[in-house]
Amino acid sequence: MDESRPLFVQLAEQIENDIIAGVMPEEAQVPSINEFAAFYRINPATALKGVNSLVDEGALYKKRGIGMFVATGAQAQLKTKRRDKFAAEFVTPLLTEAAKLGITSEQLADMIRKAGK
Amino acid sequence: MTTITATDRPPASALGRILNVARLHVVTPWTAIGLPWLILGVILLGNLGIWALILANVAEEDKAKVSEGFGYSGSSMFIFVYMMVVAVQAISVTFPFALGYGVTRRDYYLGTGVTFIGLAAMYSTGLTILAALEEATNGWGLNGSMFSTFYYGEAWYERLFIFFAAFLFFFSVGMAAASIWVRWKANGLVAFFIGLGVLILGGGALITYTASWVAVGTFFANAGLVGSFAWSLVISAIAAVGGFFVLRRATPKG
Amino acid sequence: MTAVIEVAGLTKRFGGVTAVDDATFRVEENKIYGLLGRNGAGKTTIMQLLTGQDFATSGSIEVFGQSPVENASVLQRVSFIKESQRYPDDFRAKHVFTSAPWFFSHWDQDFADQLIADFRVPVNRRIKKMSRGQVSAIGVIVGLASRAPLTFFDEPYLGLDAVARQIFYDRLLADYAEHPRTVVLSTHLIDEVSNLLEHVLVIDEGRIIIDEDAETLRGSATNVAGTRSAVDQFVGSREVLHRDSIGGLATATVLGLTAGERADAVSAGLELAPVSLQQLIIRRTNTSEKEFEVSA
Repeated sequence: MDESRPLFVQLAEQIENDIIAGVMPEEAQVPSINEFAAFYRINPATALKGVNSLVDEGALYKKRGIGMFVATGAQAQLKTKRRDKFAAEFVTPLLTEAAKLGITSEQLADMIRKAGK
Repeated sequence: MTTITATDRPPASALGRILNVARLHVVTPWTAIGLPWLILGVILLGNLGIWALILANVAEEDKAKVSEGFGYSGSSMFIFVYMMVVAVQAISVTFPFALGYGVTRRDYYLGTGVTFIGLAAMYSTGLTILAALEEATNGWGLNGSMFSTFYYGEAWYERLFIFFAAFLFFFSVGMAAASIWVRWKANGLVAFFIGLGVLILGGGALITYTASWVAVGTFFANAGLVGSFAWSLVISAIAAVGGFFVLRRATPKG
Repeated sequence: MTAVIEVAGLTKRFGGVTAVDDATFRVEENKIYGLLGRNGAGKTTIMQLLTGQDFATSGSIEVFGQSPVENASVLQRVSFIKESQRYPDDFRAKHVFTSAPWFFSHWDQDFADQLIADFRVPVNRRIKKMSRGQVSAIGVIVGLASRAPLTFFDEPYLGLDAVARQIFYDRLLADYAEHPRTVVLSTHLIDEVSNLLEHVLVIDEGRIIIDEDAETLRGSATNVAGTRSAVDQFVGSREVLHRDSIGGLATATVLGLTAGERADAVSAGLELAPVSLQQLIIRRTNTSEKEFEVSA
């Protein structure tokens, strides 16, 4: 948790990461609001906001009286969402930095290929 | 101690709140109860020592006359005045603390008053018993008289009343002084005592000017010991009420 | 949302000094509020006015819908823990824990015992002989275990070391989650508590200068850094909280950048850095101070 963005956004991203990585499998129960709040040391209202944003997206759903669960298809859904943001979040900064250092596109592609092996 | 787990007890009633303040005053009973009895005991022992010493060094035929002098011992008066100290200490120390517990000034004052009345009752009962004991043992075997001096009357109920009134008087004046201290600190207290001094001197001057000392003396003589102390209750009441109006706007400064 | 506290035009003057200046705000039920500001800004005075311990010069205060002054039915639901609390001379810690339950009808003894162990308070020792941290811990324990529907903490954790403070924050958060109540924390150590807060009230020289939801406040400002000309060009006529420069480099703290504006800044070769709640409040507090100097 840092100061760069609202905490609820950071919490939502953290949960998304866990769903995408498969750490929180579909139809599994996720920790309660209070547990998130205690773990990340944030206000429960903030934790609620973060979780609710995922509920609004359809990645989580609530079972009354029991808790929050990962929705079926959430993993695929979130991966798609992340792919859409991938270009703006990672590629553009990469290109900007490369341009600063005078690295050409071909050199960049080369680096990527070598690192990927 | 019964363990109180997560509770939702109903909040204390008005009487409950007042009694809670009284309880707060005696959580550590030493200052208000232990120490005064200790002082009394020390004074008594001191007196016994002095009397024994005197009797041992006096010729047999003079013993009776000397013993008579013991009847004028005013040493026990100190304990009454000391109650003023107890009152000031109790209030100046627990007032900010009680406010911290969410106690209103009204409940605090009433609860403190109840405490002092209780203490006055306890002490006066104790002194009455000691006086009876003193008479029964012929002045602790030394013909001394500390509690049963004539200052305090003859019959046990006279004594009880006089002791009680005297304790109430000093507690009340103490409450008034403490309230002034809490609200206006040292400056206020100094002003109060200067004002009191002026009042007393002024009163004395007035009586002298109107040559009415005889009238004053007659008044108290007619009232008798018990009557005079009954009149002191009026002053006690005035002091107590005055103290409340002072405390009403006091704040727990640092 | 129900308001537990409603304050309008509250002013408190001590002789020639105005400690609280025309304050108007409300505190909503069951939220954790931060009452933030520099030392001497008026935080303690406001709390004393809200708890009836001091009297307002003018303005109105309503706690639980009534004036709190000399009002037992209101004050029984309020707990005010302050750093400067003095205890009766011959009190031992246990005397505090024995007497507190009389005044707080929601007192939880099990919780208190657990906290006494957590903070390692020696219950049988005279308070006079305790370290500052232990005395602070006593106050904190009373504030937590009292479970009063409205609890004020006036920097009672100043005496606590970093480990104990973290214990306090953790216990507060956990208990608040299980037993919701309204908590008002005052402090000048903003970064430590900032993640606990739901709403922020900032007071500066007696005036309320910020009254906002914490999440809205967080991330509401950004530091933009780069060459002076690039920064000036990007900033334009935006509201700038703070400017700084060294050599040819400049930084500016600006409010509210949208995602698009952030992208623009990056492509203009500028670097963006986050502004913490503490920095944000410091910047905005200094601004009002400068205004005061100008008008003097």
